[in-house]
Amino acid sequence: MTIFNEIRQLAQSTANDYLTRARHRGHPTVGYFCSYVPEEMIHAAGAVPYRMRAVGSEGTSLGDTYFSSANCSFVRRVLDKGLRGDFDFLDGIVFMNGCDHNRRLFDNWSYAHPDTGFNYMLFVPHGRSEACLAQYGNELAKLGRFLEERFDTELTAEKLWNSVALYNRKRALLQEIADSRRAAVVPISGTEFLSLMLAVSVVPVEDAIALLEQVLAELRAGRIHTGQAVLRLFVTGSCLEELSHLELLESAGAVVVADAICLGARYFELPVPVGGDPLAALGERYLRNLSCPRMMDDVAGRIAHVRERVSDFGADAVILEKLEFCSMMSGESYISSHELRKFDIPSITLTRELYGGGVGQLKTRIQAFYEKVINRS
Amino acid sequence: MIFAGIDIGSLTAKAVLLRHGKVIASHFEPVKATSLASADHVMGQVLEQAGLRIGEIQLTCSTGYGRLEIPFADCNRSEVSCHGLGTFFSNKSVRTIIDIGGQDCKVVVIDSHGMVEDFVMNDKCAAGTGRSLEILARTLGVELADLGRFALRSHRPLPVSNKCSIFMELDVMQLLYQGKRRENIAHGITVSIARRIASLTGKVTLQKGICISGGVSKNAAVVRDIEQALGVTFTPLAHDPQLMGALGAACFAEKEYRRRMEGGRS
Repeated sequence: MTIFNEIRQLAQSTANDYLTRARHRGHPTVGYFCSYVPEEMIHAAGAVPYRMRAVGSEGTSLGDTYFSSANCSFVRRVLDKGLRGDFDFLDGIVFMNGCDHNRRLFDNWSYAHPDTGFNYMLFVPHGRSEACLAQYGNELAKLGRFLEERFDTELTAEKLWNSVALYNRKRALLQEIADSRRAAVVPISGTEFLSLMLAVSVVPVEDAIALLEQVLAELRAGRIHTGQAVLRLFVTGSCLEELSHLELLESAGAVVVADAICLGARYFELPVPVGGDPLAALGERYLRNLSCPRMMDDVAGRIAHVRERVSDFGADAVILEKLEFCSMMSGESYISSHELRKFDIPSITLTRELYGGGVGQLKTRIQAFYEKVINRS
Repeated sequence: MIFAGIDIGSLTAKAVLLRHGKVIASHFEPVKATSLASADHVMGQVLEQAGLRIGEIQLTCSTGYGRLEIPFADCNRSEVSCHGLGTFFSNKSVRTIIDIGGQDCKVVVIDSHGMVEDFVMNDKCAAGTGRSLEILARTLGVELADLGRFALRSHRPLPVSNKCSIFMELDVMQLLYQGKRRENIAHGITVSIARRIASLTGKVTLQKGICISGGVSKNAAVVRDIEQALGVTFTPLAHDPQLMGALGAACFAEKEYRRRMEGGRS
C-alpha cells in the first residue's frame, strides 16, 4: 500500500490500528473538539489525543433526538456516532465551547452518556486580550490538574516540553508540505492534503511524524498532482472534513492551494514558543496566535491573513465554507465577502450540510463561479 | 457551420441550433426519465426541424442540471453562464438576467460581451420556482398555464408566505378552506414569488437592461408583479425566454469551436 493510500484509509476510518497498538503500550485515547485544546497536555499525561470528527457518519437520527434541526450538522452527526457506539474506544473527551452548538454537545453527551469515558469541558475565552489570556491560563491549569488526577500522573515541565517538541515537529512537517503548494504545479491536491490532516490528527504524534516524513519524501522525489486545474483556490471557513466536498471543488477544474480551516493551516501554522513556563507558552500559541471566527476581536486580522495567503500562494479565488446554522461563520462569511470584494478578490460562500446532499445545485454554483473568475482573466 | 446547445433542466429539456449567428431550429419539452433520453429526443427534434443529421453539427455544448450526463456534448457550461450569453445574444442591451427555472432562481449580471460578472442563486428552498408553481396550481385546482390568467383577474392579492414552498401550500389550502376567491389566492402567490425574487436581487448590484428568462417568465402575472416589486420594465428578448439556456449553450459551442481552431485553452 502506498503512503497516500494508507493516509486515505486512515482519513476515512473512525478508529485505526495505530490507536490499538498505543493502547497496548498503555496509552489511552482522549478525544477532543476544536483547535483550542492543547494536544500537548493530553500527550504529556500519557494519552493519545484524537480529533473528534463525523467521518463515516450514517445519519443524524439518534443525534436528532437530542438536538433540534436548527443545530449544525456536525454536532448532530458526531453525537449520532457517539450514541451508535462508534467512539467506544475512547477513554474520555475534552469538549470546548467553540460555539453554542459545541457547548450544547457537551450537555447532550453528558446527559446521553455514551460509553466514551470522561467528559471534560475546557472553557476558552472568545477574545485575545491580557485578561482573556490570563483566564485561558487558569483553564489550562485546571485541565492539567484534571488530567493528572485522571491518569494518575504529574504534568511536569519536562514532560510538557517533550510533548511540545514533538507537536512542533509535526507542525513543521505539515507546514513544509503545505508550502509545497506555492509552486505553479502543485505536488498534492487539496483533497489529499485534507486526507493527510484527517489522518495525522487521529494517530499518536510519533506515528504522525513518521507518516508525514514518508509523504514529504514522496514530494521531494518529484511527485506532482495530475488533476486538471485551471484555477487555484484558497478555502476558509468552519468545520470542513468531507473529502467528497473538496473533490467536488477540485473536479470542476481547480486545485486548493491553501486554507484557513481547523483541519488545515489553523492546526499547524505557528509553533509553540520554546522557553519559560510551558503552560504560558501553550496559552500564547493557542489563544493568541490562532484565530477562528469564534474569536470576536480579530475579524480584521483574519481577513488580512486571507489576503496575505491568497497573494503568497497565487490563489485566484476564495471559497468561504459555511455549515448550515453555523452561527460563527454566518457573520464571518458576510463580512469577508464584502471585504474581499474591496480588494478585488473573488469569493463565494458555499453553505452546506455536513455530508449532506444538494450536489447538483452545488456543482452549478461552483462551475458558474469558476466561469465568472475565468472571465476576469 | 452549425452549433448546438442543449439545456437539460429539472422540468424541461431544450435544444437550439445556430447557423451563421441565427437560430435555425429550437424545441423544448418536459424532461424524460434520464438526461440522456431527454437530450437524445430534443436533439432529434431540432435536427428534424432543420433537416440536418447529427454529423453536420460542428460542436455541441450542454448546460442545465443534466449537462454532465450527455455523452455527445463536446463541452459544457453552467446554466448561469449560458443564460447570460443566451440573453445577450437575444438582446445586446441586457446586463441583468432574472432566471426562474424549474427548481432554482438566479440573478445574473453580465458585461458588455455577455460574460458573467456576478450572480446569485437561491440555495435551499424551491419556493418561487417552476416546481413550486406546479404544486400550488394543483393545490388551487387550476392548470399551471391558467395560474397567471387567474392572478391577472384579481386586484386584491391575499397574503401567502414566501419562505418555503410547503408553507406556501399550507397558506393556499387555508385560504381555500376559508372560501376565498381563487383569483385572489393566485394573485397572492404571484406577489409572494415576486417579493422573494426581489429580495434575491438585493444580493447583487443590478445593472440597467434587466430581462427575465426561464419557464416562469411565461407567467404574465409573475412578470407583472416582479416588475412592480423592482420598479422596472423588463427588456424584451428576440427569442423565447425559456430557450435562453440552450441558446447560450449554442453560443458557447461556437466560441469553443473557434478556440479549438485557434488552439487556445478553455
